Amino acid sequence: MKMRKLGALVFALTLVCATLAGCGGSGGGGAAAPATSTPAAESGGGEASEPSGEGGGTVHIWATGSDNVRQIFETLIEEFNNNSEYAGQYTAVLNFQASGTGQAAMTDGLAAAYQAGQENTEYDLVDFSGDDLSKIIALVGEDSFLPLDNTMIPNRGNVAAKSSVAPDRVQPYRGTTVILAYDSEKVPEPPKTLDELVAWMEANPGRFVYNVPGTGGAGDSFVRTSVYNYLPEEAITSADEQWMEQWDEGFEFLKSINPYMYSSGGSIVYPNKNQGSLDLLNQGEIDMCPNWADMVLSQRASGELRESIKITQIDPSFTGSLQTLAIPTIGSNPEGAAAFINFMITPEAQQIMVEQMAAIPLIDTSGMDMSGYEDLQDLDVSNFRIMSIGNLGTSFNERWDNEIAPLASIPE
Amino acid sequence: MGKKIRQMLVAYGMVLPAFLTVMLTVAYPIALAVVRSFKDQTTGAFTFSNYTYFFTTPAQFKNLLYTLFVVVMTVAIAIFVAYLLALYLRFSHSRISRTIGALYLLPRFVPAMCAVYAMITIIRDSGLINRIGLVFGKDIHLGLMYHAQGLIVMNLWFNIPFAAMMITAGLGAIPDSIIEGARDVGASRFKVLTSMILPLSVKDVIIAATFVWMTNVGSFTTPYLMGGNSPKMLGIALFDQFNKYLSYNRAAALSVIMFLICAVSAAVYIYSNLKDTEWEMQ
Repeated sequence: MKMRKLGALVFALTLVCATLAGCGGSGGGGAAAPATSTPAAESGGGEASEPSGEGGGTVHIWATGSDNVRQIFETLIEEFNNNSEYAGQYTAVLNFQASGTGQAAMTDGLAAAYQAGQENTEYDLVDFSGDDLSKIIALVGEDSFLPLDNTMIPNRGNVAAKSSVAPDRVQPYRGTTVILAYDSEKVPEPPKTLDELVAWMEANPGRFVYNVPGTGGAGDSFVRTSVYNYLPEEAITSADEQWMEQWDEGFEFLKSINPYMYSSGGSIVYPNKNQGSLDLLNQGEIDMCPNWADMVLSQRASGELRESIKITQIDPSFTGSLQTLAIPTIGSNPEGAAAFINFMITPEAQQIMVEQMAAIPLIDTSGMDMSGYEDLQDLDVSNFRIMSIGNLGTSFNERWDNEIAPLASIPE
Repeated sequence: MGKKIRQMLVAYGMVLPAFLTVMLTVAYPIALAVVRSFKDQTTGAFTFSNYTYFFTTPAQFKNLLYTLFVVVMTVAIAIFVAYLLALYLRFSHSRISRTIGALYLLPRFVPAMCAVYAMITIIRDSGLINRIGLVFGKDIHLGLMYHAQGLIVMNLWFNIPFAAMMITAGLGAIPDSIIEGARDVGASRFKVLTSMILPLSVKDVIIAATFVWMTNVGSFTTPYLMGGNSPKMLGIALFDQFNKYLSYNRAAALSVIMFLICAVSAAVYIYSNLKDTEWEMQ
């Protein structure tokens, strides 16, 4: 009897310890997870990997994004390691951080490594979206990345597109942009300018819609370009709060087109997410919507969208962005990183990106097979409109939610 | 004495792990959120503005009323239909009732996301119902998507089986003998329902209603995929506050408001339980 009670006491205490240890352990494990998931162990110790002056060795590549980004990098790295001119010389390894689990994780980690004064890290080569690039340059400065030139990267001369931020230190390798997606059966001649688009909306009420800003980049791009069309050109790349005062005219414009948007059940409706408006287009409930070129084309190629759905750009254009690669000065293998960048702008690698993610190629496409993706050739990357308004974006979305969204519930 | 203390230690020791877990993962974050909700996001000074924002901004106040409307309608219809279903399942012994009894819980096993998308493909303006209508030359636009009615339909799909399950369990506890006894002394079916079955099952109805109420106040998946932009359910409004506007303190205030709305049903639940124990003690 006594033994049983003693046993119970011991058991209870064990449980307490287990609980406490469990809490502590999960915290520690969480912090340690990124370290163990990096392939440092496989490549024989991260700290010890010396800068390989002779050329060769492992190249650690860092990227973040949706799962299609992970897939494309895995394909490209396999190609680089096995079939490119660098096969056998360098081995590329991917460090991927899925977006959504902590969007800022990659740039924050890199910035922290700089600020802690680390050297010879595994940040050999980093992949940046336009937003991430602006953010990291603001945090650690341009000098934190190696200048790039044609001797390091022979193919660099073949790419005309230039990043608006730190153009000498980053290499653009693919692009994507928001375009106007339309059903060519219903709209044989799509509008070419914003004025024509507005005239079309007025003539065809309920047949156009953009997704709620903040739920997908296409809606963001539509509303922001609509507002910033009324502002000086430099405003669109500025996070200065002075521009907020000049949003009024643009918001008036958004209010004026509100009655012509998609409606269901007697009121105007803006769908959530890029896919929300694209579904409406595919179901034939609308005839036009802004969306991402890569989303539309890759879904059309896989048969999820009808063949009659096409894309076009209007003037003034929606925003696009260039994806770039940069070599941090704190990396350990600049030669290997340069080799990988050079590989990414070969026709072979560009072809893979076109086929797998409908990316806009940045090199001359005459030597590439563009069948199924001909629409991409008409998108001019050299005059991409880049949008980066930083933290103003949150105020912008809130104003839309408070001023435009409530209009939707009033039947016009 | 020593034995008593040891017994007490054992008892507390057994409870402690659960207690600590709840304190760390539930009570502590709630306390933090409440404190945060009274602070200004930039200065950290004490303020009520995080709360007044939700009652004075027209769009936000509409969200609050809209949520209450959707939840009240969901609870009322779900409980009414579930009660009828439970009565049928309890007192009919036909093959149909046995089949329904075996099938009605199935919706609980369909993942919420799949169920919502399935419903969307049926009720959207270009969905299944519209297409069937087109075959007969009628262009039916239900207008359920992006509106409260659509949300309520979806919520009923989730909640009727759940409420029916709880009420059926309650009705199952009513012995056939007392009903037969009442019938023997001449009580009509209606009288049996109003003076015996209803009073005996009202507690289960209240419990079912509180659960339906609480799960719907904070619902996210259904309104995110099926709801419109304005007004929105509070779950989405909360998501906007912390994910779109990065207003963590207002998000905390809205959490507290939602907590209080849920607390209404929790209070009803506890009250009905207490009343029950009083009655048992007599």
